[in-house]
Amino acid sequence: MSALAHIDDWTGGDTTVAEIDRRLGDLRRSVEQEGVPDLRTSVLTHLAWVPPEYEQAATDTLAGLAERHPSRAILLVPEPEAETDGLDAEISVRCFSLPGLEAHVCSEVIELRLRGKRAVAPASIVSPLLIADLPVFIRWRGRPDFGSGPFEQLVELVDRLVVDSGEWADLPAAYAQLASLFDRVAASDIAWSRSLEWRRQLAGLWPGIASARRLTVAGPRADALLLTGWLRSRLERELELELEERPELERLAVDGAAVETPAGSRRSASDLLSAELEQFTRDPVYEQAVLACADVQPISA
Amino acid sequence: MATTTRATPEHDGKEANPLLEGLRLRRTPEPCALVIFGASGDLTKRKLFPALYSLALRRLLPESFAILGVARSESTTEEFRSRMEEAVREFGRDRFDEEAWERLAGGINYVATDFADEGGLDAVRDCLTELDESRGTRGNRVYYLATPPNAIGILVQQIGERRGASGWTRLIVEKPFGRDLTSARELNAKISEFFVEDEVFRIDHYLGKETVQNMLALRFANGIFEPVWNRQFINHVQISVAESIGVGSRASFYEETGAIRDIFQNHLLQLVALTAMEPPIDFTADSVRNEKVKVLRSLHTPGPKSVVRGQYGPGFVEGIEVPGYRDEEGVAPDSETETYMAAKLYVDNWRWADTPFYVRTGKRLPRRETTIAIEFNRAPHPPFEEMARGGLRPNVLLVHIQPDEGVSLEIGAKVPGQGMSIQTVHMDFLYGGAFRTALPEAYERLILDAMLGDATLFTRTDEVEEQWALVDAIVATWRRDRPSFPNYAAGTSGPSSADDLVGRDGRAWRRP
Repeated sequence: MSALAHIDDWTGGDTTVAEIDRRLGDLRRSVEQEGVPDLRTSVLTHLAWVPPEYEQAATDTLAGLAERHPSRAILLVPEPEAETDGLDAEISVRCFSLPGLEAHVCSEVIELRLRGKRAVAPASIVSPLLIADLPVFIRWRGRPDFGSGPFEQLVELVDRLVVDSGEWADLPAAYAQLASLFDRVAASDIAWSRSLEWRRQLAGLWPGIASARRLTVAGPRADALLLTGWLRSRLERELELELEERPELERLAVDGAAVETPAGSRRSASDLLSAELEQFTRDPVYEQAVLACADVQPISA
Repeated sequence: MATTTRATPEHDGKEANPLLEGLRLRRTPEPCALVIFGASGDLTKRKLFPALYSLALRRLLPESFAILGVARSESTTEEFRSRMEEAVREFGRDRFDEEAWERLAGGINYVATDFADEGGLDAVRDCLTELDESRGTRGNRVYYLATPPNAIGILVQQIGERRGASGWTRLIVEKPFGRDLTSARELNAKISEFFVEDEVFRIDHYLGKETVQNMLALRFANGIFEPVWNRQFINHVQISVAESIGVGSRASFYEETGAIRDIFQNHLLQLVALTAMEPPIDFTADSVRNEKVKVLRSLHTPGPKSVVRGQYGPGFVEGIEVPGYRDEEGVAPDSETETYMAAKLYVDNWRWADTPFYVRTGKRLPRRETTIAIEFNRAPHPPFEEMARGGLRPNVLLVHIQPDEGVSLEIGAKVPGQGMSIQTVHMDFLYGGAFRTALPEAYERLILDAMLGDATLFTRTDEVEEQWALVDAIVATWRRDRPSFPNYAAGTSGPSSADDLVGRDGRAWRRP
């Protein structure tokens, strides 16, 4: 396993993008420690749109990711209601030592607080900070304000939009809005990733499951809806959802028969996001599941 | 939720399962029993069980799975499990997880038998039949022959004669596969009495290394390399398999094989084949192996002046005084076994005509390193002053197989400052840096592939025979004279004649 060797950072209030870029370059040049060279080996730019209420969760997830995905991570914390306009930045270069490697391997984290009017055009702030030619992912925390300026700008900028529809209150209605983006950006959903092992279990029930009429789920609403949409779209048949809302996927049953709980089905938030950062193309199966669950009306279990 | 429905991987086979699409399915083999002959040996302890444990930890083994260790040593299943647990703890690359180990250990069994005896395998067959019942292994068998070469023939016969009517059978055969072309052909003939080629998996563990497979990705997934991957642009190729260790506890084996049979016949020639092969039409086993065997057939037999052999004498490695080969335990005091060999090979085809492939391997060299260095032709007319280009060397694409797994490209760059001075710098891609996940051990990949029936990374009969044909031709010339061994000191980079081999062409070995 890798171990954090050192962190070098810089903090600037009311700063500029040019200053951030310059400071980042300074940090990269100055971080060599004890004669051990540092390597910057980014494979992507990872943006995160993090409203203040998600800041802690985003930071925790990022901490679990840094050693796995060499990237430039840019956290955007919008504070449009702030009394003053401005851009505050905390940047750090985090270097890890890895077994078998003499050099440290470094990632960059840029946390930007967009105060007041600086939250209106986030793409103009982010664009100069993207690493050229590498894929750009954005993890959008919370429910996106579909159609809003910041959201539309950032969707145009990125190759992949990663959401967690489990964070959305208005399901399944919000899925219709998400579906309208499918032709513009590849979309991923952590709620969909969470159910991967359960989907494998359900796939193992073929061919008996082909005539299923009811799916019973004890778990989050988003996961249950997506599983139902998935079965509907793949099996090409109507299927009703009986839902007992729970914070995590606990039980599934098909037409009353319990599905065996998969082993190792619980993955950390970092694991789930990490898996999404390795996908580079559209996921038509997910897209069809979203389209098919938009009109599912769950009945209470 | 009254009854429990158990997920099973099967379906009726009449209609494709639409739920599987896009599921990023794990490559999980069908239920099977893995039988390891030579279960008390070093390979089982150091490589096979740690690999099996890593597969179990990642849930890549089938749910219905059993391992049957077979060896002469008297031992109980409990004792065998306990020894293998120690081995996994000592040699495994992963943290030890009790739950994963218990899952694996529950299917471990041991049979003590002398498999060279007539009927010695009856106990094995009976145990496997019992495992089919208790573990649901369905008659599917993977036999891993981790035994000395002289036991392989009799084992093949005994296994072949006891093949069951149900399930599939696969045979993994460790190197060395024979000791010359004749013995390899005899072994292939024996195997083909009982098994078809698709059932035979001849291991060259180098092919299971991520970095070796990356050679195919580097060449065939990038548009920039293949157009210059030929005699027009490449000056020469150097392939080095260097070890800093001595013969260790393998003296009796090594005395019989030497560097040419231990490394050159398999690892080195496979690396040459992967470097020189034409693009396969797809990544199926036969497509890849067809292209590799064409290279092996194209290898021009090197003359005596194009091959060098050596044997280490006493010296210092990493500051520690070490004995010469002839002073090692188990080695004859007048041994003529080579611990080093180097050769200049030519691939006689359109792409590579007149482009030398210098290969070398040796023990007790300054450091452990396996690399493939592709040296390109110099820029035809650098428009800089003589002094400015003093530091400019030809571009080299360096594939690091081990350690520091990755790829680097040496290019010329301007030294910052006044005037124009040029120096060679490295652009590095390090596996550990770009993909922050530990590389799987070669045996993990190979055992799993054999269980899945994917032979892409295993050597085929014709490849093995081509490799032996070349070795036999070289060994035949060696028999004509007595070498003056030892001819290099431990800790140095090999005999001076190896330097002459490349020096005569106006070249030099890369520093290992």
